[in-house]
Amino acid sequence: MNGGFPEALQFSFAERVNRLVDWLVLNYGDQLRALSDSLLQLLVGLENILRLIPWWLLLLMVGLLAWHATRNLPRAVLLGGLLMLIGMLGLWDKLLQTLALVLVSTGLCVLIGVPLGILLASKPTARRLLLPVLDVMQTLPAFVYLIPVLMLFGLGKVPAVFATLIYALPPLVRLTELGLSQIDPSLLKAARGLGANRWQRLRRIALPIALPSIMAGLNQSVMMALSMVVVASMIGARGLGEDVLAGIQTLNVGQGVEAGLAIVALAMVIDRISQAYGQLKR
Amino acid sequence: MKRLSMLMAGLMLAISLASNAITASADTRPPIRFGDITWESGAFTTEILRRIVEKGYGYPTETLPGSTVSMEVALARNDLQVIAEEWAGRSPAWNKAEQAGQVFALGDIVKNAEEGWWIPAYVVKGDPARNLAPLAPELRSVADLKRYPQVFRDPESPDKGRFLNSPSGWTSETVNSQKLKAYGLDTLYSNFRSGSGAALDAEINSSIRRGQPVLFYYWSPTPLMGRHELIRLEEPAYDAAAWATLTDPKNPAPRGSRSLPAKLSIGVSAAFHEAYPELVAFFEKVDLPIDLLNKALARMSETRQPPEAAAHAFLRDNPDVWKPWLPDEVARKVEASL
Repeated sequence: MNGGFPEALQFSFAERVNRLVDWLVLNYGDQLRALSDSLLQLLVGLENILRLIPWWLLLLMVGLLAWHATRNLPRAVLLGGLLMLIGMLGLWDKLLQTLALVLVSTGLCVLIGVPLGILLASKPTARRLLLPVLDVMQTLPAFVYLIPVLMLFGLGKVPAVFATLIYALPPLVRLTELGLSQIDPSLLKAARGLGANRWQRLRRIALPIALPSIMAGLNQSVMMALSMVVVASMIGARGLGEDVLAGIQTLNVGQGVEAGLAIVALAMVIDRISQAYGQLKR
Repeated sequence: MKRLSMLMAGLMLAISLASNAITASADTRPPIRFGDITWESGAFTTEILRRIVEKGYGYPTETLPGSTVSMEVALARNDLQVIAEEWAGRSPAWNKAEQAGQVFALGDIVKNAEEGWWIPAYVVKGDPARNLAPLAPELRSVADLKRYPQVFRDPESPDKGRFLNSPSGWTSETVNSQKLKAYGLDTLYSNFRSGSGAALDAEINSSIRRGQPVLFYYWSPTPLMGRHELIRLEEPAYDAAAWATLTDPKNPAPRGSRSLPAKLSIGVSAAFHEAYPELVAFFEKVDLPIDLLNKALARMSETRQPPEAAAHAFLRDNPDVWKPWLPDEVARKVEASL
């Protein structure tokens, strides 16, 4: 079993991790649940607002947004049509639930990711410390941290947001940092010479120049968030992923393909719109 | 470049020599492949069967991992030979293969295996040691649930209770959804799909550890049953006609009934069925008493014992359970190996 590796050098910290999780659940479980309830209210609220909007109005709004972003009428109609197709497959409500989940996790991604990217670009020490953390976030199999998160925060949408956040944050941080570090330093020096303070230099010069890169990062984050919806459904978050999962588990390939393509369609709509906004500012 | 290709050639030669050496030493008969079941009772039964097949009958065995459905498909194509715990008749993939004569369900390995709706005992009785008050002192049957939705409050829709349904895609998910309707609970409780077995377990264990009320679908034999004091909610007696309304997701007026008593079998492929008649005879006789099994599973999960070690301990401690399954000579060989 041990493949020849000397027994004396082997160790396991599994038992200590198990005890730590037990202890956390016992002592902080109830408080953390209360915390997760407030995040849940946000998600459920957003979902209910989306549900209040009639389906045609939502399609119209997406079409208008697409037109505003791309200035291309056929494309806007096509993107609206893609969403309509999801509704025609009978997946409208699940689409809204997935959309709410993706919007909330992407919003949190921006709130956390952009400042973190700025920090990484400006402080080499932070960069050295945080890059390995980003690697862990992108590669650690989701279920390893999901089950403890689940025990602490409860089943459903909240751990799903956590999982999505952990997986989708790194590209935004990396690309924000890349965009900022590629700015010509003489530009910032000139601004300094003109009397701009740190905040002004960041707000007026650095961020606008880095924006295409940041938007590319945001676009990647959204795509990764969408690819997490199946994992999200495995921890009780409803939405399009649920149908994929049920399709797989009952060998109902058709159902899985329908829901899977709906996820692709939603991804394409969000991707084209966010890409177009990124290029607009270039 | 030349040196690189020399190196590659040398490596290839070494690999082919090594693999020759391995195949030469192996038995002429290929090892029997068991599905590597990940849930506890399945993993445990697999190891019990493997040990007896290896030590008693002298056939080599190995395991291959996979999800339930993929294992059933693999069994139908004889890529796997044995699935040690098969809830025969539950999955469409299995039913199709069984009708085509590609797979066989052998024996009835755990009598009184059951599934249903459970709550922790402290919800009804309280637990003075942990300072828990009885929140639903008169909760006995599914009908009583109507009075207690607030006890099992669902944070996602606080005016309802939360019923933890089975992972999405299981047959029991349909049955439970229909049961909610049949018992008139669908407006009072949200039908919460737990997504995966791991998620369901994590939620139940976390709730029990914190002494919170929780209402969930579960099944036995499982470590959870041996580990905690749980109460199964009473349901109307099993009735075949009512059961048919529960398994059909489109039936608008389902009627309540206990679930069909589960029959756990050993699934084998048609080729195996032909090639190993003596093992087929042994598999037919396997019978694990459920209480003993639940206890063994609880110990295995609590001490985080590997299933192999748990199976070894079980065989050593309970010879009278497994000896009747085997011819005397085989039983002696197994006993000698313990």
